[in-house]
Amino acid sequence: MLTQTPTPAPRKHWLRLPHWRFAARRPRGALALGLALLALIVLATIFVPMISPYTATEIAGKPLMPPSLAHLFGTDTAGRDVFVRTWVGGRNDLLMVVLVVVASSAIGTLVGVVASMSSQLTDSILMRLTDALISFPGMIIVMAIALVFSGVGEVGPFPRGALPAVIAIVAINWASYTRLVRGEALSLRSRDFITAATLLGYSKTRIIIRHLLPNLATTVVAYMVVDAIVAVVTIAGMPFIGAGIQPPAPEWGSLMLAGSTVLYSAWWVTVMPGLVVTVYGIALSLIADSLLAEVDGGAR
Amino acid sequence: MGHVRADRVAARGHQELVKSHTTMVVGAEDSSAPTTATAGTGQRPRHGRHSGLFWALAKRLGQIAFVLVGVITITFSMLQVIPGDPARLILGKFATPESVATLRHEMGLDLPLTTQFVNMVVALFHGDLGTSLVSRTQTVNELIGPAFANTMSVVGFALVISLVIGIAVGIITGIRRNDAFDRVLQAVMVILLSTPPFMFGMVLLLVALRTKIAPAGGWHGTPVDSLKYIWLPALALSIALTPVIARSLRQSIRETFAQDFVEAAIARGLPRHRVVLRHVLPNSLLPIVGLIGYSLGGLIGGAAVVEIVFNIPGIGSRMMAAVGSRDFPVVQGIALVSAVTVIFFNALADAAYWIIDPRTRTAAL
Repeated sequence: MLTQTPTPAPRKHWLRLPHWRFAARRPRGALALGLALLALIVLATIFVPMISPYTATEIAGKPLMPPSLAHLFGTDTAGRDVFVRTWVGGRNDLLMVVLVVVASSAIGTLVGVVASMSSQLTDSILMRLTDALISFPGMIIVMAIALVFSGVGEVGPFPRGALPAVIAIVAINWASYTRLVRGEALSLRSRDFITAATLLGYSKTRIIIRHLLPNLATTVVAYMVVDAIVAVVTIAGMPFIGAGIQPPAPEWGSLMLAGSTVLYSAWWVTVMPGLVVTVYGIALSLIADSLLAEVDGGAR
Repeated sequence: MGHVRADRVAARGHQELVKSHTTMVVGAEDSSAPTTATAGTGQRPRHGRHSGLFWALAKRLGQIAFVLVGVITITFSMLQVIPGDPARLILGKFATPESVATLRHEMGLDLPLTTQFVNMVVALFHGDLGTSLVSRTQTVNELIGPAFANTMSVVGFALVISLVIGIAVGIITGIRRNDAFDRVLQAVMVILLSTPPFMFGMVLLLVALRTKIAPAGGWHGTPVDSLKYIWLPALALSIALTPVIARSLRQSIRETFAQDFVEAAIARGLPRHRVVLRHVLPNSLLPIVGLIGYSLGGLIGGAAVVEIVFNIPGIGSRMMAAVGSRDFPVVQGIALVSAVTVIFFNALADAAYWIIDPRTRTAAL
């Protein structure tokens, strides 16, 4: 908790101004709660489709039945079980999110570290490219690209339309990581332990792998978590304009879109998957906040 | 959510970017970065009072040009990679090869790619986005103009809502200690931040359907005629930005409070509200300007989705229809116009920085 600092005013004032200089705080329990919620969602996407009596495409009951014990999230317009569809859809979403976040962070971190360690010319060329990409009006371009190629690519576990969406997002998204990593790497480079490693005659590669990357990890991971929230909003938003995963493969966004026509009579078809997306977002927010507090705490 | 004191923002990742974005804009580098490693304007010797400004502007213009060329190239190659011949698409399956060839010639499709590219760029500089492939009597400008106006009116309305609510919440949570009220507001902000705008939009739509507080979607004429249709989708869209503004402002107010001049103002015995309104707030509002410029691209994309939910004839539905009928010049036009809008408002945000905060001017020198 916050240590009590004396208020500057002798009397109690209606406006009690904060005195923040030493107010370091750590959200307690937030990390645990976030991880628990996330674990719940991940486990559900893995196990619900396995143990459920229904499949995602089977007609499991009458159309538009409200939530009940037999159908936890009710049934949709075709009588399919929304619960199973939500979690099968979650598989697709999470798979895409993981791919987006991992690919963007890998490319971005690599470019960022290389930029920070290379000559001024290379560095400034790389950074101008990054700046341009960051100021790119991302979302609409990403959607346009994903939309145009939405018919392509049923590869391995990815349904039609998934890979173009992922590639379109990664193509613009990596630059954010580069900017973040380069800034951190530059400030690390001026620290003594890096100077020591350089004086010891270690190669650049070794310094990057053994000294820079481990120290960058927390920052990058924290940003990955934030990015995973943004990614799911983008991915689940795509079906609304016809991009992203193509039907009949379920996905959180397309499930909600399908429910929007019967919103008035059968809210559950839309709201239930939507709630799952929101809980996913809350879980990641909690984790990200804790990680960022960790990063800030470590820096001071 | 008792223990959610999510002070370090989930959106702080964005703030980092905004921060670096703005420093990049004015040509200054992160203070944490050693100056020896910085490139560009920071290194240049001073030539006169305005040389810093000159270089910062030159850099900015270069960057704008780079982004524009990038967007044009991407959209142009998008048209090239798509399988199928536009002329064939227009004339249909049963057209004779001769008529297809004639149309190709008319549309300039038989010219070499480089010539086509140059022609397109020249046309773009004249503000001509081309002709729709589907209804050949209509230009792309005519097709997307009204749609874009509708979308931007939703975005603008959402921006206003976000600013009003976000700044209010930011101030309230910023100037109070970590009490229950602050914690509750923080928790609400985390939840809002985690809710996709289209999800929130559907919930609002459901509420509107049940209570009739607003028409459940739709549109009527121009944005001005449609005010009663706009506010609900705008509210839905605004939750993408409101929590980000609120949390960013809270953070920056608290950082400002830790500075000596605030302590000095309090020590001088100035009224509290005066300290907050005249000393803390002006020094804390700056990041919001960059935040708006930075979020605009995302807002336009988000609006495209929210519009579908509310059945508004904006760029979202226009783009969807265009892809459905393979009317790619329209897709290209939408991407380009959005890009130019975002670039324009980002430049505006930079200019605002320049005007509001004299420190950014010296930083660039």
